[in-house]
Amino acid sequence: MLRTEEILSTIQMLHAEHLDVRTVTLALNVDDCAAPTPDLLCRKLRDKLLSRAARLVEVCDRIGRKYGIPVTNKRLAVSPVSHLVAGHGQGTAVAIARTLDEAAGDCGVDLVGGFTALVEKGVTAADEVVMKALPQILAETRRVCASVNVASRRAGINMDAVAEMGRIIRRTAEATAAEKGFGCAKLCVFANMPEDNPFMAGAYVGEGEPDAAVNIGVSGPGVVSSALQRRIQIGGKLTLGDLAEEIKITSFRVTRVGELIGREVAEALGVAFGIVDLSLAPTPQVGDSVGEILKALGIERIGAPGSTAAVAMLTDAVKKGGAFASSSVGGLSGAFLPVSEDAALSAAVAAGHLSLEKLEAMTSVCSVGLDMIAVPGDTPAETLAAIIADEAAIGVMNDKTTGVRLIPVPGAKAGDRVEFGGLFGSATVIEIRNAGVSGAFVRLGGRIPAPIQSLKN
Amino acid sequence: MKTRFEHAYVLDIMAEDRPGIIARVSGVLKRLGGNIDQCSQTVLEGYFTLILVVSLPKPMEPEDLAREVRGKEPEGLQVLVRPFDASVAARPAPAAEPFVITAFGRDKPGIIAHLSQCLAGKDINITDLYWNRTNDDFVMVGQVAIPGRIDLAMLQADLAAIAAAEGFTVRLQHENIFVATNQLRLTRAAKQG
Repeated sequence: MLRTEEILSTIQMLHAEHLDVRTVTLALNVDDCAAPTPDLLCRKLRDKLLSRAARLVEVCDRIGRKYGIPVTNKRLAVSPVSHLVAGHGQGTAVAIARTLDEAAGDCGVDLVGGFTALVEKGVTAADEVVMKALPQILAETRRVCASVNVASRRAGINMDAVAEMGRIIRRTAEATAAEKGFGCAKLCVFANMPEDNPFMAGAYVGEGEPDAAVNIGVSGPGVVSSALQRRIQIGGKLTLGDLAEEIKITSFRVTRVGELIGREVAEALGVAFGIVDLSLAPTPQVGDSVGEILKALGIERIGAPGSTAAVAMLTDAVKKGGAFASSSVGGLSGAFLPVSEDAALSAAVAAGHLSLEKLEAMTSVCSVGLDMIAVPGDTPAETLAAIIADEAAIGVMNDKTTGVRLIPVPGAKAGDRVEFGGLFGSATVIEIRNAGVSGAFVRLGGRIPAPIQSLKN
Repeated sequence: MKTRFEHAYVLDIMAEDRPGIIARVSGVLKRLGGNIDQCSQTVLEGYFTLILVVSLPKPMEPEDLAREVRGKEPEGLQVLVRPFDASVAARPAPAAEPFVITAFGRDKPGIIAHLSQCLAGKDINITDLYWNRTNDDFVMVGQVAIPGRIDLAMLQADLAAIAAAEGFTVRLQHENIFVATNQLRLTRAAKQG
């Protein structure tokens, strides 16, 4: 029998602190849709998505009602589109993107990930087709999300691909100039990209994954922030160890909710349950912010000295609580710092407290990297590539995932304010110091070799 | 449940809470050679209540057993006794899922009556109920067993309609969400009770 205090404490989390399930992502392998003609390929792809995913939204809503907890986003992820375009040209890649976009819309999901190429060691002809198509497909579709893995612990960093991604990001921004370069918000460049990530824009179905699985992203930072504030209000002498404990307990509770919903959705859809991703994913909503957690921990200005240590403690406590709650933890599982999507981070950039360099330092102890950062529209492609290389180096050397989602806003200068709207929020264009002076390094190309696995200092 | 001795009784005891009530009751039963087979106690606003299933080696009239337990003190215990019928608990319960109803709002008479009549009309059993009134506001937590044939969305809508008419908030959620967030046991086990 449950105790009344237990029930009331859950009600507090669910309804006063807005605990939700951030995303239920249905991951589908679509390699079996390969076909000799684009028409047949797209028909098979559409049929597969509709037959497997048509009930996703209805099932999530029904199970959400049963437990009184909203499933905020329902999404699709597919195996890398590069597998499907092997032997085809760019026209097929664009047709696939349109099919994914329409099928996702018909299923009622807002985003579909998997327009993906894995090029950490080299670029195949199919990868090249996918990469070249990115500016066009990101401009012409609404729901399709793209990702390119340019580095890994075992392969090192493919600097030719990094340089190419710098150029592609610029071209994508220009192709979506009317929307302030918004196409780039649907494109992530990764090192050590996880195969089972449920979060966009990096969700896709990697090698070794089942034919179909449900992957879950748990609730956002608002719940952790509220728990910390409640603990602080109770008073008494508190140390960072006590606050880490509070984060750990909250992460445990949140993860258990994610697993409960995920397993039931998977059962109802007749597919495997994949993973729970513990990541704290902020939204522009006030109170749902990783930045506010840092403030609750005593960092008055986000970006001030101490910010990296606070993010490290937060990320570690989230992992510890989540790992105890579920044996199926995966994906990115850390704390996101998506600047435009997090009201407090966005405000810290606007106030000049948070610099690109400090963000980079903070990403060395959390997932997932330099995320949703608006940069000046005239930033040279080689500088964008050099930023990607820096972030990839953090991932490769520390054996963790890092990603880059930069938005060069056409016509915008550092300090300008940009609105992306909805979940993507708003951002102040960040200053890139020393832009335009890394070109010679990037142009050398080739591969930065994989790091040594011993001598770990 | 099989009791230790053949002659079994249900005792219901109420008193103003103070140290020694259980010592007194169990002492009487020990003197009679009896055994406590199950019991559950709660205290509400200074009032103690205890329900027990006890068994004795020799038969006794329920009223005689009540008199023994009650004692002679003027502030003695209020005691009700009836013979225990093991078949009551053994009756198969209809297949049902455990849910939790919570309600909050401005207190007024009749809220539990409205909600419980709605549930009773659908054969939904209340297995545990908590109500607390602080100043003018109330909190209600009810644990209920909902038969599988009940349409959950319809029931949630019915409860919401009562709450809207009476001016309070009500929620109906499967028990597993509370197990998952508070307890270390697996939620799958919750289905088996």
